Amino acid sequence: MSNILDIRNLTIELETSAGTVKVLDKLSLQLAEGEIHTLVGESGSGKSLLAKAIMGFINPRWKITADRLWWRHYDLLALNPVQRRMITGRDMAMIFQNPGSYLDPNTKLGNQLRETIPQSELKGIYLRRKANRTVRAERLLHRVGIKDAEKVMNSYPHQLSEGVAQKVSIAMAIAHNPKLLIADEPTTAMEPNTRNQIYRLLAKLSASQGMSILMITQDLTSVIPESQRMSLVYCGQLMETGPTEKIMTEPFHPYTDAMLQMSFFNKELVPKTRLPTLTGAIPTLQHMPIGCRLGPRCPKSRRACIHQPRLSKVKQHQFACHFPLIEVETHD
Amino acid sequence: MFRYSLRRMVLLLVTLWLLTLLIFALNYWYPGDPLTNMTGIKFSDTLAYQQALVARGFDGSLLSQYFSFMAHLLQGDWGASMVTEQPVFAEIKPLLGATLELGLLAMLLAIVLGIPLGVYAAIQQRGKLDRLIMGLSLSAYSIPVFWLAQLFILLFAVKLGWSPISGQIDPLYAIDINTGSILIDIWLSDSDYRIAAFTDALNHLWVPVIVLSIMPLTMLIRIMRNAVLDVLQQNFIKAARARGLSDSTIMFRHTLPNAMQPVVRQLGLQFSVLMTNIIITEVIFNWPGLGSWLVKSIYERDFPVIQGGLLVLASIILLVNVMVDLVHAWRYPHIRKEIDAK
Repeated sequence: MSNILDIRNLTIELETSAGTVKVLDKLSLQLAEGEIHTLVGESGSGKSLLAKAIMGFINPRWKITADRLWWRHYDLLALNPVQRRMITGRDMAMIFQNPGSYLDPNTKLGNQLRETIPQSELKGIYLRRKANRTVRAERLLHRVGIKDAEKVMNSYPHQLSEGVAQKVSIAMAIAHNPKLLIADEPTTAMEPNTRNQIYRLLAKLSASQGMSILMITQDLTSVIPESQRMSLVYCGQLMETGPTEKIMTEPFHPYTDAMLQMSFFNKELVPKTRLPTLTGAIPTLQHMPIGCRLGPRCPKSRRACIHQPRLSKVKQHQFACHFPLIEVETHD
Repeated sequence: MFRYSLRRMVLLLVTLWLLTLLIFALNYWYPGDPLTNMTGIKFSDTLAYQQALVARGFDGSLLSQYFSFMAHLLQGDWGASMVTEQPVFAEIKPLLGATLELGLLAMLLAIVLGIPLGVYAAIQQRGKLDRLIMGLSLSAYSIPVFWLAQLFILLFAVKLGWSPISGQIDPLYAIDINTGSILIDIWLSDSDYRIAAFTDALNHLWVPVIVLSIMPLTMLIRIMRNAVLDVLQQNFIKAARARGLSDSTIMFRHTLPNAMQPVVRQLGLQFSVLMTNIIITEVIFNWPGLGSWLVKSIYERDFPVIQGGLLVLASIILLVNVMVDLVHAWRYPHIRKEIDAK
């Protein structure tokens, strides 16, 4: 399997009143075709920024540099905005945390869905095409698990629950059969039942169409079993990346371990005891530690941590730590 | 929507009722005899006065006077002018036509120019043309209408001679005033010189229309610009771009319809401002409309006319505002949810 998305050392700098801040610090990420990749990071880790950088929602105040930001054989940073939008519009799609605000409040959902179906995929003359559009829109809604398609098409966004709205935005996102779907915390505001439905739907879409999905979540509990690979990001730095199973069972990085300890994957937790957490809080943008940004909170940190560790590689599994939980022969 | 419309209608009726109360009360607060103020019948006309005293319930309580006042009002008996002794109600129709013609044309001009200019300024945000449009609209907004009107007369009528100084049409054309709207009246008339009369009417019309449209135009430009900028920031526009929709689809299907929402709201408010300006403009241009009629009657202490003019102007403003509210709620369904939630 080849990588369709290849990001090497992506850095995003923001101009703030306290000077330039690196919100993403040399982040690397590879995504293979048809793969579900989960990106885990707490708030402020820059995971949404990464998604925006891929999609090209770029604020002119950001400074983006990368050794590589390649989508298939296109160098995204070298393209002009028009070409870039053409490619992202054709190949990529994104769904968001609160779907309500990503739908036009004053247009019926049917019309919004219909206009996302590309003209090129419709046959026949005007009226025929128009009818085709409606049929295809209904089919899309059925595919994302909405039974009463007609009613939903005749509703405005405010008349639907968040779960249904998210399904509609997934339908809109997959209308042009994208190769990559970025799901930015798609279920945060939803109840567990709806959440599971959405996750099952995304997994099914990936399996049936060979669509790659970059799933962005806040914590390890929402990593779905279908996810093949995952990455953990802390304050804009990549902590660990590798096959999901490996990371969940044999983490190298103290951060991954801490995240596992605080979730229900921790089977050794005695009832009614305190949940083990990292000390301290996530640093603010203006006060980023130098070197490994986890340093001040890390149980294993030592003096060497003031230098940012390089990525070490054990088979498919990569991590950035001077003092991993499992001793390995490093290559340097 | 039905409940909301019903509520608006009830509110409209209640406001109109309060308006009649106020106008009724004014007759007692004005100097002179209340019955004369109300009907225009002079005290010296003894027989008619005695009849009116009974007919208007002035032999009974204040309540019976109000009921009889309302009964006459609803029947279209709004008294007679104390100066011309003509019935007020019959006089109002052509005046209203002339005022509405001026006001609607000015509003139309403001909409036709203001919306594209506002959108253009927003797209060119912080560009040279944006600064130019915004600068001009702010300066034009700051000019009071009475001064602007005189400047325009001085420039276009006196110096350049492109247009007559005042009036609605040259009286030589002898157009029968029927609806009051001069363009419609020429259309309806069987004069042999219809085309010439039409040109002459337009010649008279364009200066006051431009003067009147400046205020709503500059407001519309600025509201439209801010609204478009605001909508362009919204998530659903970003999402639409991410879906690969073309710029024109996003602009015409999503940005503009959403940006029009605050504009529709403002149109109702702007209409009241326009009505105030129309009174001043009509006086300056000697336009035979409600405004100049009202001002003239104030100078002449012609109370039945003041009463009728006030009633009509206030009712029009109320009606337009309620209509704008209804259109707003009908076109922007998510607003209805907010209204219901309150």
